[in-house]
Amino acid sequence: MITFEQVTKRYGGRLALDAVSWRMDEGECVVFLGPSGAGKTTVLRLITHEIQPSTGSVTVGTFRTGRLTRSQRALLRRTLGIIYEDFRLLHDRTVFENVALAVRIVGRFADSDITPRVRQALEEVGLNGMESAFPAELSAGEKQRAAIARAIVNRPAVVLADEPTGALEAESAGDVLRLLKTIHLEGAAVLLVTTREEVAAAVPGRVLRLADGKLIEGAPAAGVTPIAAAAPPPPPAIAETGVAPASAAG
Amino acid sequence: MHVFFVKEAWRSFRQHRGLGMTAIFSLTAALTLSGLFVLLSHNADNALRWVGDRREMVVYLKDDMTESRRLALIESLTRLYGTTTYVSREQAWKEFSEQIGDPVLLEAVGANPLPASLRVRLRPELLNAASMEEAARQVAQFTEVEDVRYGAEWVRRLDDLGAGLRRGTLAVGVLVALAIVFVIYNTLRLTVLARRQQVEIMSRLGATDRFIATPFVIEAMFEAALAALLSLGVLLTFKQAVSAQVTGVVFLPALGSLAFLGVAVALAWLASLIALSRVLRAVGP
Repeated sequence: MITFEQVTKRYGGRLALDAVSWRMDEGECVVFLGPSGAGKTTVLRLITHEIQPSTGSVTVGTFRTGRLTRSQRALLRRTLGIIYEDFRLLHDRTVFENVALAVRIVGRFADSDITPRVRQALEEVGLNGMESAFPAELSAGEKQRAAIARAIVNRPAVVLADEPTGALEAESAGDVLRLLKTIHLEGAAVLLVTTREEVAAAVPGRVLRLADGKLIEGAPAAGVTPIAAAAPPPPPAIAETGVAPASAAG
Repeated sequence: MHVFFVKEAWRSFRQHRGLGMTAIFSLTAALTLSGLFVLLSHNADNALRWVGDRREMVVYLKDDMTESRRLALIESLTRLYGTTTYVSREQAWKEFSEQIGDPVLLEAVGANPLPASLRVRLRPELLNAASMEEAARQVAQFTEVEDVRYGAEWVRRLDDLGAGLRRGTLAVGVLVALAIVFVIYNTLRLTVLARRQQVEIMSRLGATDRFIATPFVIEAMFEAALAALLSLGVLLTFKQAVSAQVTGVVFLPALGSLAFLGVAVALAWLASLIALSRVLRAVGP
């Protein structure tokens, strides 16, 4: 599903990733753990095709690094659900509108289908009844849950989470991690990036440690054991469906 | 989905009212300037057509002409150049007398010196200097014709005036079109930069350029349409003010006004596409 082969990334003279190879299969959960500047966010940006590797190759589903056209890049991103540390919600829209925007962008659903899909996603993250609230009216934990609802509303095959608990106090962080575990158990692959050991320990995933752009611990390209025992059969590959419906899809 | 894009455009316009209003006023000024020339040109065209309709060629006949030859000539000229009317020597003298009015002067002239003539009201396609000159040359070759007059100099001047006005309108039109593209381009650039965070988030969620751009394009077209309507309002007020002083001034016909509006909106569409294709590449992650 996601494969890095000997990926090196330089920003000018600075080496962000140094010949990193790893692989993630469908339905798997992977945690990238490492201090700030270790190259974790670079990994996510390479997956979302915001940046290109200096050398090596990155494959996401059927999309392989190289110059994707802007519409191919948009298509790739529509197959992913992304959660950011700073939530990245639109402040001039309600929670409902923020989540509905992701559905509209995918463009596969009629207007009449949008409301039930959004309501179900909000219910899954425990934000039912808060559809009309604006981000400024929410706590940090609620904002992150709204962002998670936006990430899962299209039932992506992969959810990327960039330090999702970074801005949260302990209780909200626990809620968010429980949600991520549920999303994973329902069949989606989850890739979580964090600086905190306790976060890595709280999710049932394979931990890959990064330091100074190097993968210092964790199985690289081979010998991957998906944590699929407790999970239902994995969703169809991105290549087949674009966006794979998980079992909880409404 | 279309309603969604229109709502997004309205949201963007409301949130950046200052920018939108500045664009509307700049566009209104540019369009009013252009509209003024279009209006002037339209009225000048009208006036020239009115004067042109009265252009005629006077064909002076030889004195010894028989009636049958005269009738044959009238038939030929009517067929080739336009409606031809016979003016006898007596009728010409009567008209001349009415114009002069002073019997002392008329007495001084003595006997009627005026020749009989034919007045040819030329067909519309011949109402220009070159065609009239050619027609006069051909008519002069008839053996019954003594002389041909058609006011060559003022016909040429009228034609030059009309052509000058059309050239001026075209030049101003091109300048204004460039101004519209410039205003829309920069307004959209600023609007997109002001909404940079939204554009980035949408792009990260997988929105295509078209999805992101459509509300901005609608907003630009809306601003241009509003500016064109305001401009037509200003021009109508101007026309009413001038009409109080000068008779015969007319406003643009309904189709012309619609074309004015359509061109403004089309230019806004074009400018917004150019602007967004460049700006979105710079802003999106």
